[in-house]
Amino acid sequence: MAPLLMIERLRPLAESAIKEGLAAEFGHVEANTNTGISNTKLAMWIFLASECLLFGGLITTYLLYKTPLTIEQGPAPKQVYDIPFTSVSSFVLLMSSLTMVLAVAAIERGDHHRLRTWLAGTALLGGTFIAGQIYEFTAFKSEGMGYTTSRSSSAFYTLTGFHGVHVTVGIIMLVSLLLLSLRGRLPEHRAETVEVVGLYWHFVDVVWIVIFAVVYLIP
Amino acid sequence: MSTETATTIPTDALDGADKAYPRERQYVWVALALGALTCIEIATYAAPGFPMWSWGDKAGLITVLMILMAVKFWTVAYFFMHLKFDKPILTRLFYAGLVLAVLVYLAVLTMFNVWWPGHH
Amino acid sequence: MALVEPGPLAITSGEDTSDFTPLGVFARPVKPRAPWRAWLFTVDHKKIGIMYGAAAMFFFIIGGSEALLIRAQLWAPRGTLLSAELYNQVFTMHGTTMVFLVVMPIGAAFANYLMPLQIGARDVAFPRINAFSFWAFLAGGLFLNSSWLFGGGADGGWFMYAPNSGVLFSPGHGIDFWNLGLIITGIASLTGAVNLIVTVLNLRCPGMSLMRMPIFTWMTLVTQFLLLFAIPVLTAAQFLLMFDRLFGANFFNVKSGGNPLLWEHLFWVFGHPEVYLMILPAFGLVSEILPVFARKPIFGYPFIVFSGIAIGFMGWGVWAHHMFVSGIGPISVTTFSLTTMFIAVPTGVKILNWTATMWGGKLKFTTPMLFSIGLVAMFTIGGLSGVTHSVAPADTQQTDTYYIVAHFHYVLFGGAFLGFMGGMYFFWPKAFGYLLNEALGKTNFWLMLLGFNLTFGPMHILGLQGMSRRIYTYDAGYGFEIWNKVATIGAFTLASSVALFLFNIFYSRAKAKNLPAPGPDPWDARTIEWMIPSPVPEYNYDPIPTVTRIDDFWYRKYEETPDHRLVRTHTTEEVCQTGDSTGVHLPSPSYWPIVLAFGLPLVAYGLIYTLWLSMLGGLVVVAAIYGWALESPDAPGGAHGGHDDHHEPDSGGEADPSLEAGVDATGGAVSESDPSTDDGAVADDREVETVG
Repeated sequence: MAPLLMIERLRPLAESAIKEGLAAEFGHVEANTNTGISNTKLAMWIFLASECLLFGGLITTYLLYKTPLTIEQGPAPKQVYDIPFTSVSSFVLLMSSLTMVLAVAAIERGDHHRLRTWLAGTALLGGTFIAGQIYEFTAFKSEGMGYTTSRSSSAFYTLTGFHGVHVTVGIIMLVSLLLLSLRGRLPEHRAETVEVVGLYWHFVDVVWIVIFAVVYLIP
Repeated sequence: MSTETATTIPTDALDGADKAYPRERQYVWVALALGALTCIEIATYAAPGFPMWSWGDKAGLITVLMILMAVKFWTVAYFFMHLKFDKPILTRLFYAGLVLAVLVYLAVLTMFNVWWPGHH
Repeated sequence: MALVEPGPLAITSGEDTSDFTPLGVFARPVKPRAPWRAWLFTVDHKKIGIMYGAAAMFFFIIGGSEALLIRAQLWAPRGTLLSAELYNQVFTMHGTTMVFLVVMPIGAAFANYLMPLQIGARDVAFPRINAFSFWAFLAGGLFLNSSWLFGGGADGGWFMYAPNSGVLFSPGHGIDFWNLGLIITGIASLTGAVNLIVTVLNLRCPGMSLMRMPIFTWMTLVTQFLLLFAIPVLTAAQFLLMFDRLFGANFFNVKSGGNPLLWEHLFWVFGHPEVYLMILPAFGLVSEILPVFARKPIFGYPFIVFSGIAIGFMGWGVWAHHMFVSGIGPISVTTFSLTTMFIAVPTGVKILNWTATMWGGKLKFTTPMLFSIGLVAMFTIGGLSGVTHSVAPADTQQTDTYYIVAHFHYVLFGGAFLGFMGGMYFFWPKAFGYLLNEALGKTNFWLMLLGFNLTFGPMHILGLQGMSRRIYTYDAGYGFEIWNKVATIGAFTLASSVALFLFNIFYSRAKAKNLPAPGPDPWDARTIEWMIPSPVPEYNYDPIPTVTRIDDFWYRKYEETPDHRLVRTHTTEEVCQTGDSTGVHLPSPSYWPIVLAFGLPLVAYGLIYTLWLSMLGGLVVVAAIYGWALESPDAPGGAHGGHDDHHEPDSGGEADPSLEAGVDATGGAVSESDPSTDDGAVADDREVETVG
């Protein structure tokens, strides 16, 4: 029994030593699964594939309803957009993708200080984006385009609102990771957790790339 | 281990990777490229008369914006999300959902005649 | 390594657990004392599969009672049993219950119980998410049906067309219950789909390449992909409807330019893949059963696999055949008419392959075999009427009549449900350790077949005679009376066959004490799940088998001589596992899945009644998510399958060194003849994620 207990205790150290040795021999060691990809990462990609269908439906609804009708009370979305403002917001979100991937690179190197810096930066940039969205929405509302004003306004707010909720959930995850790291609970061999959260974050950015072009810029 | 920033991250530390992931500097270049593309997008709004996209009634603008959007999408997916460096199955799974969504929703929009004037 | 914080809730995975003392109330339930706790907090795919099945049967009785009410109301012209308003609620809830709370969950029951066994895994990739999926489904189903207690069921039809579904035409809360309940079950289905896809892709045993998987596993994989992509479309539509009804949005508000066709498109883009995902698991079950009782391999394995994949693909291109009379225009109608005709081809391939499997085989007409042949026959009839729908001019006559009702009941009941019945009879001994009585089973089958055909056969005639569907009554003098009476008699016959099935369960269980145990392989079957004891031990296999071909288990028992005769080479005892391993490392039970799942209906009730309740529900959900994420992957000293636990309580999941099979230090069991390990160290079980 005692030797087995010893082995259990030494297992994490042994594993990483074995991994390094094998890496030197064979190039890389894969996850112990049929595809060689960990369950979590595979699951996140599959989930992101399904999210395409969700956002696609909401984008379709917007494209169908964006044409202003004569019966509509308030202004059409096109009339209230502030493209320069939204452009800055888009930059902010885009840069947050950079900070995210830098965070992932940092933990893969074992640089925990940089990890926390970049995680905090990503969360802050994301928060800035959300603040910008809230400001935009309140501005639109004061200009007469509320949620229930017209079919196009409902479609606009639902689409961008869904995206905003996704960003917010992402920020919560980032802050949680940051806190975990600060308490020493995010060691290097859990880099994959950061990577998987990063995948979610990049996807949310990618959806915004589509929304920015399709909703705001296209005439 | 934590002070080495100049060498590549060994792929044994990375889950499901086929090729080495980029280094930080390469990520920054990618981000700058994305920024440049976004600037072009904004330019279509700021200078709608520019010849590159003022052709066809709105077709030019839409074409250019769609191309820019697709290139940005692809860039983030391939570089930041590591699709270029990971095993191909991840790319195939994601594309499955994406392509399905695009085809199905384009069909739905076509059935609503959104591409033609005068639809409801 | 990293610091271990002496905090209350969790440690990072892989860390030394021996000095970890959790707060009592947050500790993972290690060895639940009461049996009900074992079920409530289980993460074992087999228990979860059984619970899916039991819950589905419960909802089947509810949905079936609604069906009997419909048939009783339609017994004679101008029936007075149900008012028009109540009738609308009953047929809506009948359809919704049967589709979302019966057929889909039975598919999930089999997928959960059977698929990990068929691929030689110990559990699914994310056991806690698996538990959550079940509890969320149950919570959503109960929430949906609670509408009966809170002012009436939904009344817009299971397809819930707009703008009928808006508050203007349906001011009560029934549709809100429908909407929110199905959003909750949708979350269950989506998380389940991700889980099962990762399981099939990642956790197969050595040697089990994709083209060696059993057909049921293939069909499950395709089904889960269909779910993965179809549910979000429905979810999008349902959010639009919810925002319309609860917050005054204008998606389907005709006065504001809302387009009812938007709902129809979104719903049917989901709805058509939905019907394929309802039938594919049953196709898979039949593909398992027919070869066993024909004592021949499935005919054309690659064709069955590829036709299943083809159905999955093509199912996305036919949705508007539900909208032929919605004014979509002649080009769309023609296009979808053609695509719908084409989709009959892969299904036809399957029917041919099943028939060819039986051809020349030594047929044994056990109950599961009867049900499987029943599926082949009844689905063919339903499929043929479906092909008649694909001819758009003909469909213009048929649509919204009982002809359509006949079609989909033939494919869903005669197809999916008969297949599930066969699957239940077939896999019952594996799951529960006793056989269902054969005589009762055969009676069950014939009574069900008779009742089913009496009920739905005449509906073809009624439909072509012009009887409308979704209408609470009809007038005398159109000639509808006689066939309606036949259908009602058939429905009650069907109900008695279901009662007989339930009786068979209790009867067989009581009699089982006096009968010999069925053993691991009562049917002389072909796939590896039949080489483990019945009922299946908690850890499934020990050791994890290595497969070398399709129907690997069969060829451990039999050999084919050069002149194509089967020769038995090994007895059952020689090739089957004995199931007496100890110390196998299993994922621990957990509280959080059920807590999270029941937070969701709180949010939903709050959206209907008072937002404070939603906030409370939201807090429960968030707390559960954090509790889950921070939970230790295994309770210290816990997580063991097998009969004896010789180790000390705080050893953190050690293997029992006395185990003969030679479990290695990490607790994984030995794999058979794994070629990559020639130094005694063995391949680990495929990793079961600590996240899920």
